Amino acid sequence: MAPSATSTEWDHQFHTLRRQDLFRNPPTDHSAYPALQLAVNPHIESFNAIFRGDGKPGLLAHGLADIGTKVFLDGNDRAGPEGKNRLNIRIKEVTLQKPQVPPSNKLALNREIFPAECRERHATYRGKLSATFEYSINGGDAVEFTRELGQVPIMIKSNRCHLENNSPALLVQRKEESEELGGYFIVNGNEKIIRLLQVNKRNFPMAINRPSFTNRGAGYTTYGIILRSVRPDETSQTNVLHYLKDGNVTFRFSWRKNEYLIPVIMILKALVETNDREIFEGLIGPMGSKAASNTFLTDRVELLLRTYKAYRLYSKSETRAYLGQKFRVVLGVPETMSDYEVGTEFLRRIVCVHLGNVDVTEKQDLDKFHMVLFMIRKLYALAAGECAVDNPDAIQNQEILLGGFLYAQILKERLDEFLGTSVRSAIRDYLRRHPAVNFTSEEFKKEFPGGIFRKSNENIANGLEYFLSTGNLVSPSGLDLQQTAGFTVVAEKLNFLRFISHFRMVHRGAFFAQLKTTAVRKLLPESWGFMCPVHTPDGSPCGLLNHMTHKCKIMTDHVDVSNIPALVAELGAVETSSASTDESVVVMMDGKVIGWSTPKESLRIADCLRYWKVEGTHRVPLQLEIGYVPPSNGGSYPGLYLSSTPARMVRPVKYLPLQKEDFVGPHEQPYMSIAVVPQEIESGVSTHVEYDPTNMLSILANMTPFSDFNQSPRNMYQCQMGKQTMGTPGTAIRHRTDNKSYRIQTGQTPIVRAPLHNTYGFDNFPNGMNAVVAVISYTGYDMDDAMIINKSAHERGFGHGTVYKTKKISLKDDSRTRAAKSVVKMFGFAPHSYVSAAYQGMLDDDGLPHVGRMVKEDDVLCAWHTVTPDYNGNLVNLDGITHYEKYKDSEMGFIEEVRLIGAESGSEPLQTISIKIRIPRSPIIGDKFSSRHGQKGVLSQKWPAVDMPFSETGIQPDVIINPHAFPSRMTIGMFVESLAGKAGALHGLAQDSTPFRFDEQNTAADYFGHQLMKAGFNYHGNEPMYSGITGEELGADIYIGVVYYQRLRHMVNDKYQVRTTGPVVPTTGQPIKGRKRGGGIRVGEMERDALLAHGTAFLLQDRLLNCSDYTKSWICRRCGSFLSVQPTVSQFAPGKKKAPSMVRCRNCAIKLDDSEGIDLTEIQGEIWEDGQGNCWVGGDQTTQVVVPGALKFLDVELAAMGVKLKYRIDRSDEPRKGPMKPLKQISIGA
Amino acid sequence: MPREEYQVPTTSGGASAGAMTRGATGGERHDSRAVMTYICGDCGGNVTLSKDALVACPHCAGRVLYKERTKRMVQFEAR
Repeated sequence: MAPSATSTEWDHQFHTLRRQDLFRNPPTDHSAYPALQLAVNPHIESFNAIFRGDGKPGLLAHGLADIGTKVFLDGNDRAGPEGKNRLNIRIKEVTLQKPQVPPSNKLALNREIFPAECRERHATYRGKLSATFEYSINGGDAVEFTRELGQVPIMIKSNRCHLENNSPALLVQRKEESEELGGYFIVNGNEKIIRLLQVNKRNFPMAINRPSFTNRGAGYTTYGIILRSVRPDETSQTNVLHYLKDGNVTFRFSWRKNEYLIPVIMILKALVETNDREIFEGLIGPMGSKAASNTFLTDRVELLLRTYKAYRLYSKSETRAYLGQKFRVVLGVPETMSDYEVGTEFLRRIVCVHLGNVDVTEKQDLDKFHMVLFMIRKLYALAAGECAVDNPDAIQNQEILLGGFLYAQILKERLDEFLGTSVRSAIRDYLRRHPAVNFTSEEFKKEFPGGIFRKSNENIANGLEYFLSTGNLVSPSGLDLQQTAGFTVVAEKLNFLRFISHFRMVHRGAFFAQLKTTAVRKLLPESWGFMCPVHTPDGSPCGLLNHMTHKCKIMTDHVDVSNIPALVAELGAVETSSASTDESVVVMMDGKVIGWSTPKESLRIADCLRYWKVEGTHRVPLQLEIGYVPPSNGGSYPGLYLSSTPARMVRPVKYLPLQKEDFVGPHEQPYMSIAVVPQEIESGVSTHVEYDPTNMLSILANMTPFSDFNQSPRNMYQCQMGKQTMGTPGTAIRHRTDNKSYRIQTGQTPIVRAPLHNTYGFDNFPNGMNAVVAVISYTGYDMDDAMIINKSAHERGFGHGTVYKTKKISLKDDSRTRAAKSVVKMFGFAPHSYVSAAYQGMLDDDGLPHVGRMVKEDDVLCAWHTVTPDYNGNLVNLDGITHYEKYKDSEMGFIEEVRLIGAESGSEPLQTISIKIRIPRSPIIGDKFSSRHGQKGVLSQKWPAVDMPFSETGIQPDVIINPHAFPSRMTIGMFVESLAGKAGALHGLAQDSTPFRFDEQNTAADYFGHQLMKAGFNYHGNEPMYSGITGEELGADIYIGVVYYQRLRHMVNDKYQVRTTGPVVPTTGQPIKGRKRGGGIRVGEMERDALLAHGTAFLLQDRLLNCSDYTKSWICRRCGSFLSVQPTVSQFAPGKKKAPSMVRCRNCAIKLDDSEGIDLTEIQGEIWEDGQGNCWVGGDQTTQVVVPGALKFLDVELAAMGVKLKYRIDRSDEPRKGPMKPLKQISIGA
Repeated sequence: MPREEYQVPTTSGGASAGAMTRGATGGERHDSRAVMTYICGDCGGNVTLSKDALVACPHCAGRVLYKERTKRMVQFEAR
């Protein structure tokens, strides 16, 4: 049989044999589930863009061009540049190697390091980064040299990974999943992904009304235009225009976290050689146009031009020189540059960088000029109320910052910093230490690249590893982002749904999480088809953490638009324009004004381009976004905004005129008419129709069966719980070392599922079990969302799961300093040491545990001892003490794997081991389960099978749930699933549960009801049932069917917390916090209120005193103080223990030694002695009371402040009323 | 036993059960450079390592070694 290509078509059926075959013979051509890979691809493609393989320059190459050449001068710092030698240096090229064994390891035959090894070794999957530098001295011959810059983490399945384009068979061979997706990094054995971030749409001037704009200074209004301009290397520079009260406009930008303001005319005049008339006409339009009679506009433009006169700068060169003089220090340019050149550099680096970033031509400067003019126009329109603000929280004005792009930005900035700061200071240091040396001298040539580069911190890669492992961005410029932390998350492989969701997750930004207003969290209609309305968590991240729909793609490359300007011109776009949008609207492509047309014509241009793009003619690319904003009365500023850039979202819909696939973007979508279903198409209005209404849902939301029958919050809950399910993380569990991993032992494929379940290959990762569920109130143990499972179902393995915990034990101290590299500890028993038989039995001779052994609390996991090298260099133990690592969990487990982890260089004795412990977790009372409809419940009883109700066919339910779970929650989808599951089980079919397939005429209940009837069951899904206890038929027919149940990872064993007494906080004597440490649960104010209200005083006392800081304490009744009492010391007591403890008040007693001449015989009362041997008499009115420990603490604290507390023990101790009497000494004797 | 349970502090000490059973066995067994066999994670071959040996498979220089499942009888109470 000739091997045919692996089929990638799936429907909703079981395909048992086909899947069996895929498992036994992983395909050698391509995956059977391409949709999975597509879901992750934006991450991988964005990383690939850093170093491209197709000949085009990668992002970093663009970045290097932007960094440019650095110029260093020798000689005295304070002197001017004259007569000094110049050293020009630039980074010519940066390369990244695939992960390899370091050359110090001579033994390894296979030099490649695969990701699986990094996971097992808790290492980082990284490759060597090296850069080629080129320098010349005084403009002489260029010299090249290459330096290594450390090892940077590499994204799995990227073009720098060994797994790129591997077939499933090869992936399995390399210890990966057969459907390994990549898209993440491995840092210290953890899988980390860079979150997708929503940022402002690039190269699009957004009209903003923000109250904080007025804080910029006097006269500033709330109006502004924000342009997030993106360079070819994907770094961005935000330009803002501010509208001032008098009609003036300022240009604002921020550079290295500082803000700068410039009059906008200065920018205009610096860009091109122009005059006031040109600017005036550029803003308002040619003479005679309608806008020229708009006095609002003309007044303001006149003022704009007039106020600028104060600067007395007229020509382009004057203006640039002025700018250069002001920004010389800010930009950090070499001293050799003239002011004019610095001004040019300023425009290159800051103003509209998307229109020309490197080697800016005059044409590009003109484009920038036109762009700034357009921005001013839009600003005036906004200020005049002619156009509405653009909502920065709507997806219409957003794009996605991809992980790879962010990575490239950080890399570029690090390289820039390295050359501009580290190398510069290293050279300066060298020249200071050797004042006689200059760049031309021989000595310097000896020292130059090598010595000086070694002195500067060359390890750029370290910073990237830090970024990935912590998610913190350390950057001098801030990268035009609003947050500095939280960029990365661990891609937890709790189950596959959770894992895949990480890659589809889009975050609005940590900045917005602290925002008090909820406007950013709003679900907007613009999001349709791009962001899933269902799949967002509830609680604090609600609406900020969204998930992309399963059909949403993110562009990762520019599409070819070289032909578009010509086409647009051909279609009638002209160069002259007027400020009135009735007369002319802009045609803009990627933030470049390519023409103007009348509003009517712009629609025609848009329609033509749309037709051609879908048709695939005229070199109009299919993924081009044609954002046609129609003219309106005070709506968004009209125009035709084409975009071809990466980081856009696009999604497929059907274009009606051609019945072909079109891709639409979020910017154009609000102005298009896209029918959701074919019936909805309105002739002459609708241009597109959705392929499927389920395209608006995320992968996870699509897995909820019949979700259109449920109340929508329930679908949200299911999206949460699907991700918390104890499922199957994958098939390569053997080669994973997650800190904690959950696995279900008896996973099944759901009977009721959507075809997408197969398309995404979720049968490879079962997430639950089909259970026969009866909705009945039977036992009384199922109130409040509790559920009952059949004890026999439990015994057959229903919901049986396992937790794997991996413990890494390293003998190397984990400090970041690499100073201590020597071996000081070794695994194993110390020679001649005492080892107890119990410990001996737990470990092998190598000091490591037996694989398969059961470990309980306080069992030893491994043994180690200290070593020192002797004179032969052998490591010997001197102290003869064996140390042990103990298993500290309270739960029993089994040693599953013991891994001995060698060093990358292969030249180290055993220093690190990794022990995987398997903890069986069969369901116990208190574990959490849920159906796929947000119906979670806690297991309350394992009910004996004999006592379970049974149906006429002899079926017993596996699960009983309470009918009260339904009326308020309205999860009808669960009923339909039950019905469908039952019919599917009876007929041996998988049931298609795609939402929106049934309607009022063809109901789901009818469809599945008939299937049930055919199988001889009740049409409605009810059945007569019999009590398992009495055998009598139950009074009502019971709704019973098959529902897919998930076991959630929240288990009582990880949660229960009990305590009567235990560890306490030393200062107060109250229980400590925390389950891990045996602390208590706080009985707070509300709980206290409840106990008070119930009159349960005894319980209240028990909670707040007896189980808390119950303290017996001595107190003096006379002076009412805790602090003055002290125990007496008896001279005659034989030992400390035996002494009858007496407590006396020192305050009320009289010291005998002080009062001379007292006749001891006259004294009344017992004489007692304190610790110092002083004798006292009196102070014997002490008593013991029980008080809260916190009260004594308070007393001491107040005493320290000089406040005395006096306690009244008894009625008789009450203070006397009346005038105060002077304190008298107690009379002693006569 | 759940560790959360409160232990009454006793001054006489736990008299650790393991310590007094069968006495010490240390000494001679351990200084005889115990040689153990492991499985290479890369090539699957057997790797014998003496006590202070470098962790690397002699066949393929594999850097991850697995401990073999114990040959001892492992029996637990089946419930």
